Amino acid sequence: MKSNFGKRSAIAAVVASLALVLSACGSSVDKASDAPAATDCGSWGIAMHAWNGYTASAQVVAEIAKKELGCTITQTTLEEAGVTYDAMEAGSVDLVIEDWGGGRWKEWVDRGAIEEVGPNGNIGLIGMYVAPWMVEKYPDITDSKNLNKYASLFKTADSGSKGAWYEGPPGYTTIGEKMISANKLNFKAISTGSEAALIDVLTKAEANKTPALAYFYAPQTFFVKMPGLTKSRVNFPANDWTDAAKASGLTDYPETVLVKLATTKLMSSGSAFATLVKNFNWTNDDQNAVAADIEAGTDPAAAAQKWIDANPDKVKAWLG
Amino acid sequence: MLDRLIVQFHLKKSYLLLGLVFIWIVLSRLFQGTQTLELPVSENTSVTTAFGDAAASIRGNRTKSPAFIYFFNPIRVGINGFVQVIRTLIAIPAPGSIIPVIGWLGFAGLIAFAVYATSNWRTSLLATSLLLGCGALGMWTYTMDTFAMTIAAVLLSLAIGIPLGIWAGLSDRVLKLLTPILDLAQILPTLVYLAPLALFFLIGAASATIATMVYSIPISIRITSHAIRNLNYSPIEASTSMGATTKQTLAKVQLPMAKQMIVLGINQTVMAALSFVVIAALIGAPGLGKPVVDALIIRNVGQGFVAGLAVVFVAILLDRSTSAAAKHQESFIPPTPKQIIRKRIKLGIAATVAIVMIFLSRAQLWAAVWPEKIDFSDAVARVTNTATNWTTTNLYIFTVGFKDFISNWVLNPLEALLGGSPWYVTLLLIVFIALVIGGVRVSLLSLVLLGLIVLSGLWHDAMITLTQTIVATLLTMTVGILLGILIGRNNRAEKILRPFLDAGQTLPAFVYLVPMLGLFGPTRFTAIATGIVYAIPVVVKIVGEGIRAVPATIIEAATAAGSSTRQIITKVQLPAAKKAILLAANQGMIFVLAVVVIGGFVGSGGLGYLVILGGSKPDLQGKGLVAGLVILLLGVTIDRIAQAGAKRA
Repeated sequence: MKSNFGKRSAIAAVVASLALVLSACGSSVDKASDAPAATDCGSWGIAMHAWNGYTASAQVVAEIAKKELGCTITQTTLEEAGVTYDAMEAGSVDLVIEDWGGGRWKEWVDRGAIEEVGPNGNIGLIGMYVAPWMVEKYPDITDSKNLNKYASLFKTADSGSKGAWYEGPPGYTTIGEKMISANKLNFKAISTGSEAALIDVLTKAEANKTPALAYFYAPQTFFVKMPGLTKSRVNFPANDWTDAAKASGLTDYPETVLVKLATTKLMSSGSAFATLVKNFNWTNDDQNAVAADIEAGTDPAAAAQKWIDANPDKVKAWLG
Repeated sequence: MLDRLIVQFHLKKSYLLLGLVFIWIVLSRLFQGTQTLELPVSENTSVTTAFGDAAASIRGNRTKSPAFIYFFNPIRVGINGFVQVIRTLIAIPAPGSIIPVIGWLGFAGLIAFAVYATSNWRTSLLATSLLLGCGALGMWTYTMDTFAMTIAAVLLSLAIGIPLGIWAGLSDRVLKLLTPILDLAQILPTLVYLAPLALFFLIGAASATIATMVYSIPISIRITSHAIRNLNYSPIEASTSMGATTKQTLAKVQLPMAKQMIVLGINQTVMAALSFVVIAALIGAPGLGKPVVDALIIRNVGQGFVAGLAVVFVAILLDRSTSAAAKHQESFIPPTPKQIIRKRIKLGIAATVAIVMIFLSRAQLWAAVWPEKIDFSDAVARVTNTATNWTTTNLYIFTVGFKDFISNWVLNPLEALLGGSPWYVTLLLIVFIALVIGGVRVSLLSLVLLGLIVLSGLWHDAMITLTQTIVATLLTMTVGILLGILIGRNNRAEKILRPFLDAGQTLPAFVYLVPMLGLFGPTRFTAIATGIVYAIPVVVKIVGEGIRAVPATIIEAATAAGSSTRQIITKVQLPAAKKAILLAANQGMIFVLAVVVIGGFVGSGGLGYLVILGGSKPDLQGKGLVAGLVILLLGVTIDRIAQAGAKRA
């Protein structure tokens, strides 16, 4: 007593296998099309991190590698740091074009999986920013010594009796708790979870003239949308970042030289892509130009191509 | 007499609970803020350091240790290869080619034919339009990747789940052995096991597939064993008495009889696997989850919505076609030879058309690569962004007012009680409450589990997560019971709400995390609101069914006795549906917990934030792993107390 369903699924299976048989025959599309010939550049993976600045740098490298060098490039969206380094060790990703992390990749370098390829030319500056309207109303607020005076303004339902200190996203370099204790501030670090949340906090605070103190960083295209932000970074006493022993006394974020990381496999391959990676270097303004287009809704590939077309000299220099 | 005793006992129980809470509040006030075991986010404990070291040594041994060389790595390579083969069939360019083996037209033809052959032409039409809809949303390649991942995970899940399910169906011993594991797998919030899996199988399709399997195998085991166990016994008896061997009885009688139920199990397995696609993107799964997660990170509601819509399309497609296949019953009148021939001719024609489409999709570029011109994603994204912006700017005052009200009057006092009291006060009072609600065994279990949480060093974070879970569950139950009563009593309301509930259950929580962020900002309440939205459909459905299941005769009797509608609801229907409501509360809590921890992405803090943090900061990886374990401990504690309470009620 074989059922109808059985028969029907049998037929479905036959068709599916026929489809497979068909696929074994050569496809005429491949022959007809002008597929880029596989060159000796090879196929490489670029890690894609979430922020627009990163997307800009990575997309420019990807477009040059594909169009000028004929490499096969796959782009994989990944969380920053550990996750990405693991993926590099596993061989699924070969390049991080912008890393903020101050040596957090040491373990992987020691194992010979990845290596530091030097600065990418961008300088990162992390800081704590108040909503720009507050600078006009309370001119002395950007001096960290006065923050406690205004702490009560920043109180929210989530921060209790202290001021709310909106901390950066999990993957980013953050020392909020340490800064609060080192500077003896009456604030409570509130985790925000994503960059989206930070932008949201600052946008709403500026629009509704409500107080806010939030982690932010440059280069970032948000500065174009909210120019007042350049003047609203709170100045904390400088500290010595290099000495790990003083780590509990961290008082402020230093300027960070952003670096490129690549797999040892890529750098020792002799591929033209490795040369491109080694030579790639551009300024914060370059990155912002591409990132602003992406932010405005241009497809990242098109935004990158626009910059490549406008800067043939720089591209030529990178190709070596 | 008995009734009165029960009523009295109940009164005593609730007085006892009130008394306990009162003592708790007094102690909390006296010792507020002392010995709360609060730990700064960036600091490790000895336990988390030990986990971190273990994780580091696992990472270091990946290329050397025999466990990796002979076990984990081959599994990873095998699964990766399997997924890759399916992907090259439909999603990504095959080696040495610029197109997948089967292009969009071919895949559409294949789906149309497969659904037609297993159910009917109407479902086939629906499935095909939904599939083309995904293409029109500009998501063709992502959709195909999702199909590939789902197919791979479902095939592997069924290959393990159905045999185990049959075994558990035949042997009580196996069932007893498997049940606690299955329970655990269903309580475990999905976010929790991503990091450990990635540690062993690295980021990529293999980890994502295995994570999906952890989630979907239990469902296929459960339904298969259930199907075997609930068969009509007489045919089996007849077969045995006629001298059939156990094997013959299984193959010729039990399995064919259980087939329809097993196909339903396939349907449920497919849906479970699909619901995982978004979260699996966090560990590198290709597919529709990627644009959804990206949208959260760069705050693009529209983009997330477009991808989320495609997920819903795929979900409806797979759900309708697999459940239609399950329902496709043979009638009791055997078809005449003429009907059979006619059906075969129809199938033959359909098959020919499908084969021609596949052939075309391999020969013609227009049929292989989805036409770029047919892409409405920008329009949909723009409309969604405009609508969301309008809502968030104009409703912000109200939403923030509501958020502050709940935060100040519910969330903060409860957090002060749970997290602000000394740890031993909270621990002992939860154990006592468990004793009153669920009895000695459960209270001892909670003592052990909560003790482990204290030892882990993450007690305070656990209490923050518990607070949010309780508040979200209370709000979910309030709304859920009201809507449940509505759909339980009113067929029209049920018809109108049902599609929303179905969509709400399939739409990944990540999709509305972004608009919630717009409405409430990065706060604890954002996570709570997301949890509520995610858990409401399930609560409404269970409560609604409970109300519906109240026998009509009881209601008629009450009406005849002159009860008003309100009296019928409060005195008859709600008490009669008590079991369903308790079940809904239990389910709701587990659902809420799963989402509250995802809330770590939008500022909820607590354990979920630590899990996410552990994924991206190497020095806090151990802490993230421990936080995952603590979520599990917390989930089991909540579940056991609630279940024991429901059983006693």
